[in-house]
Amino acid sequence: MFFRLLMESFRRQRRRKLLAGIAILLGTTAVTAMLALATTIGDRIHKELAVYGANIVVYPKAELLDVKVGGVDVKPASGGAYLKESDLAKLKGIFWGNNITGVSPELPVQLAVARLGEDRLFPAKAVGYWFDHDFGSLKTGAPALHPWWRLQGEWPASHSGDVVVGANFAKQLGLKIGDSFRTQSAPGDAGASWSTANVVGIVTTGDETDNEILLPLHDAQTIVGVNDGVRRVEVSARTKPEDAFARKDPDTLSPKDHDIWYCRPYANSIAYQIREAMPDAQAEQVRRVEQSEGNVLNRISGLMWLISAAALLAAGFAVSAAMATAILERRGEIGLMRSLGASKGAIAFLFYAETGLLAVFAGSLGYLAGSGLAAWLGARIFAGDGGVAGAVLIPVLLPVVVALALVVAIGGSTPSIRTALRMEPSAILREDA
Amino acid sequence: MATLSLAGMLRRSLVHRRARSVSALIAMTVSAGVATALLTLYADLDAKLHREFRSFGANIVITANGSLPADALARVQQAAGVDALAAEFAYAVATTDTGTPVVVSGTDFAAVKRLDSWWQVDAWPDAALANAALLGQRVAQFVGNERAVALTYAGHTVTLQGVGRIKTGGDEDSRIYMPLAAFTAWTGVGPSVIELQVPGGAKRVEATMTQLQKQLPDVQVQPVRQLVEGESKIVDRTHALMYGAVLLIALTVAVSVLATLSASVLERRRDFALMKALGGSQGQLMGMFLLEALVLALTGVAVGFVVGSAAAWAISEGNFHTATLPHLSVLPMVLLLNVAIAAMAALLPVRVLRGLQPAALLKGE
Repeated sequence: MFFRLLMESFRRQRRRKLLAGIAILLGTTAVTAMLALATTIGDRIHKELAVYGANIVVYPKAELLDVKVGGVDVKPASGGAYLKESDLAKLKGIFWGNNITGVSPELPVQLAVARLGEDRLFPAKAVGYWFDHDFGSLKTGAPALHPWWRLQGEWPASHSGDVVVGANFAKQLGLKIGDSFRTQSAPGDAGASWSTANVVGIVTTGDETDNEILLPLHDAQTIVGVNDGVRRVEVSARTKPEDAFARKDPDTLSPKDHDIWYCRPYANSIAYQIREAMPDAQAEQVRRVEQSEGNVLNRISGLMWLISAAALLAAGFAVSAAMATAILERRGEIGLMRSLGASKGAIAFLFYAETGLLAVFAGSLGYLAGSGLAAWLGARIFAGDGGVAGAVLIPVLLPVVVALALVVAIGGSTPSIRTALRMEPSAILREDA
Repeated sequence: MATLSLAGMLRRSLVHRRARSVSALIAMTVSAGVATALLTLYADLDAKLHREFRSFGANIVITANGSLPADALARVQQAAGVDALAAEFAYAVATTDTGTPVVVSGTDFAAVKRLDSWWQVDAWPDAALANAALLGQRVAQFVGNERAVALTYAGHTVTLQGVGRIKTGGDEDSRIYMPLAAFTAWTGVGPSVIELQVPGGAKRVEATMTQLQKQLPDVQVQPVRQLVEGESKIVDRTHALMYGAVLLIALTVAVSVLATLSASVLERRRDFALMKALGGSQGQLMGMFLLEALVLALTGVAVGFVVGSAAAWAISEGNFHTATLPHLSVLPMVLLLNVAIAAMAALLPVRVLRGLQPAALLKGE
């Protein structure tokens, strides 16, 4: 009997059920979409912030001071300490190794260059980089960590004698893609021999790299004569914005706190783990990037959460108002049922069951629609970031959203049901006649 | 009997069905409040985001080959506007008492403190102290005594009092910073670099650069490209995201409110039938419903604007730590939205009502 009542109510009052259902559907759609966007916004914005470059730098502990003014390094080229390129593989093994999204070693070289067939020498700074290097499952290198570099042509293959030159340097020597020029390792470096470099690309960067020659790391190592040596490594890692706890010195913490600190992806903890993995290296967070990124990330995700809360509130209001109206319209039914001898409890149960069924059904549909909407919005807004649209359905949200829909729908209909039950059946029926 | 005025009918209709009127009013208030809050936040969003990006520091670097003209800083500040931050730097390579070459920079600490908020400095020097110095964390191991740093440049020696250390993870870590006046008196070198931070997006940066190039033709003006590009990209995307969210929420609220309101109009079929039976024309009756809905909508806007502005203020205070004042400019939009909802709620049920026979309705069919 109860189920027949329930079924008939859905079959016969399609318009009313549809209205309440649409309200719940729209509400859950909006809430799901906002929550789905809010939970993924951190990763998305982090990807965007990657344009600021590395957030951790690694250099040899025994390194002399950088004596750099306006991009010109006046430090004596000879001497100094190097990191081992082969040690970089250890970065994959650190606790937060999976959070490392890019690695770019550098090795600066002083060169003297001359145009083909001329003897006049120009001093030039060259830097050896990885360009498209296999690093575990990652393809990484300088272009990945400097997304603002604009290249015409292509990056050189490793160990090839091909180079990319900065735009100013190219202008200075009148070089075009496909041209060659002669290089001589500057005095002081091992083997001052001439070799020929082929220009395969021209890069504009907007900083001192515009005046430099970019060559494969192995070629730079050959010129300098330090096999396996690099001067500096830039690392880009996904990090958690810094808070007061992150700033603590890990060596002064209690063992338990130390473990917690160690197991959070702060830039400081990742730098600490890099120092552990490479004992002769010093790793530091790049504060300009790291601090400000955390700031921006916090604000934007905070905004999204607040907007989600607003959406939740608005949807809650809308759904409960719609439910209240839906029940209010059916006072006649309540009066009839009561006059036919139904108990208050049975009537309330019937109405709650209807409401619950509607909330679960419309809520699930709304969850699907909201997930789809979030995926679509995310893909449209963050287009071209590659693979961000991965998590379309967030399963955790389904019970959350449906439970919310249930609570709001039942909460919204309760006052109307109670008022209707409290009234005399005869009064309701007469009024409605 | 015939003296029943329109205003009287309206008042009675609203007062008599108080519960219904209040729930309709709440619905209209919620829709107006949500629209106001979101639009107010949306109107302020770009300015707020750009403010956050100020923490990245300078986005334009002005470099001279030799020294900058004496009034360069003033001219830069004038060209960039009062809300731009600028700091000048002079550089020289000196030798420490342990014989290590080190880059020493003369600057204005107060300006740098505002411009480069990401510097981690344990103690900023007192402005009154003429020979105060900040040591980069890597420099510290190359000087004998941090409290009395002896530096030599071209035969001249100066002793600085190190008051704190800088930690940035960048070039600053291997430099020593000191006040510009003392620096120039010691080395005879004037400032050669001005770092400038212009708030606002790429357009403003470009305009400022053109202006600067005109003002100071002999110097190099360059943007810090990754900052300028990244900022516009992120602001644009957040803006788009917010736009999507505003539309979505407004739509949800609008449709739900519409559903609620039109249901309550529909419920008044009996009133409708009675009035029609008493000789009211279709137009008169519709006008009556519409007027009622409009009164509710306008009251909703008045209350909702206040509530929504307060919500927007609370959200931006909580998230951005700056207040968002009520924007009167969003009022027309909110008004339009609410009136449209009210009009649709009153007019949509008309098609259903028109087909009804008063007699049948009154009989209770």
